[in-house]
Amino acid sequence: MERILFYLIAAVIIVFSVLTVTSRRILRAAVYLLFVLMATAGFYFMLNYNFLGAVQLTVYSGGIVVLIVFAVLLTAHMDHKLDPPDRLKALAVGLLSLFGMGITLYALRSFPWAVTALPEGAYDIEAIGMRLLSYGDKGYVLPFEVISVLLLAAMVAAIIIAKKSTSND
Amino acid sequence: MGNEAIILFIILGLVLVGGAFAMSYLVSPKNVTPLKEETYECGIETMGSSWIQFKVGYYLFAMLFLIFDVETIFIVPWAVVMKKVGLVAFIEILIFFLILGLGLLYAWKKRALRWE
Repeated sequence: MERILFYLIAAVIIVFSVLTVTSRRILRAAVYLLFVLMATAGFYFMLNYNFLGAVQLTVYSGGIVVLIVFAVLLTAHMDHKLDPPDRLKALAVGLLSLFGMGITLYALRSFPWAVTALPEGAYDIEAIGMRLLSYGDKGYVLPFEVISVLLLAAMVAAIIIAKKSTSND
Repeated sequence: MGNEAIILFIILGLVLVGGAFAMSYLVSPKNVTPLKEETYECGIETMGSSWIQFKVGYYLFAMLFLIFDVETIFIVPWAVVMKKVGLVAFIEILIFFLILGLGLLYAWKKRALRWE
């Protein structure tokens, strides 16, 4: 059962990944990417990483894809079909991808995978929340507060960039 | 939560969407006229391509949305354990909100929330 589900999700990811890079229409590529990200969330749910799955759905398929789609809508010639890449480039990229896949497979093969049992509920939201708010040993309250500074910086930067470009035209 | 839930989710999703299409195909009367085949049955025809460049203002809102989206990710674990941890958790989130509130204040001041 688990195996069938794994291959089903993997098939979805592979098919839509290939469609993402082969689609000549850029907006369609963005939508195919959405399916890839959602299927990835499926893997997280399979691993009982419920929180990470939720993050994947809200931030990646909810936020990043929206950002990509909006960026595409900002381009002047989005109805323009991308030219198919020339043979030599396609060949070079193909070889490079195969090389990368080889290295990854080699690293995965040579890694001594040890099966260990995780304690029950080690990665559920409550455990994450407790760690996030604890200021004692192995607590993450400082990163938690620093994240808000990071988000603040991102917000200010986004406003500055967008305001600048609107005032120009 | 587990594999059964995911399988149930996939099946239910397929049944719901497929069922809605199948039902409307089976139940609806079919009386096709050229007028009904138009893209905008009750509107005016578009002039030129609709694939035009959009205003940059949309992008700003998308960015702000993404930032608050990420913020939610950190608030959810806090909300789950808030009662357990007690007052400390409340103070910690207040600091978090205070810093992010500055961002909102900045956006407000810079008129980034205004549609121009």
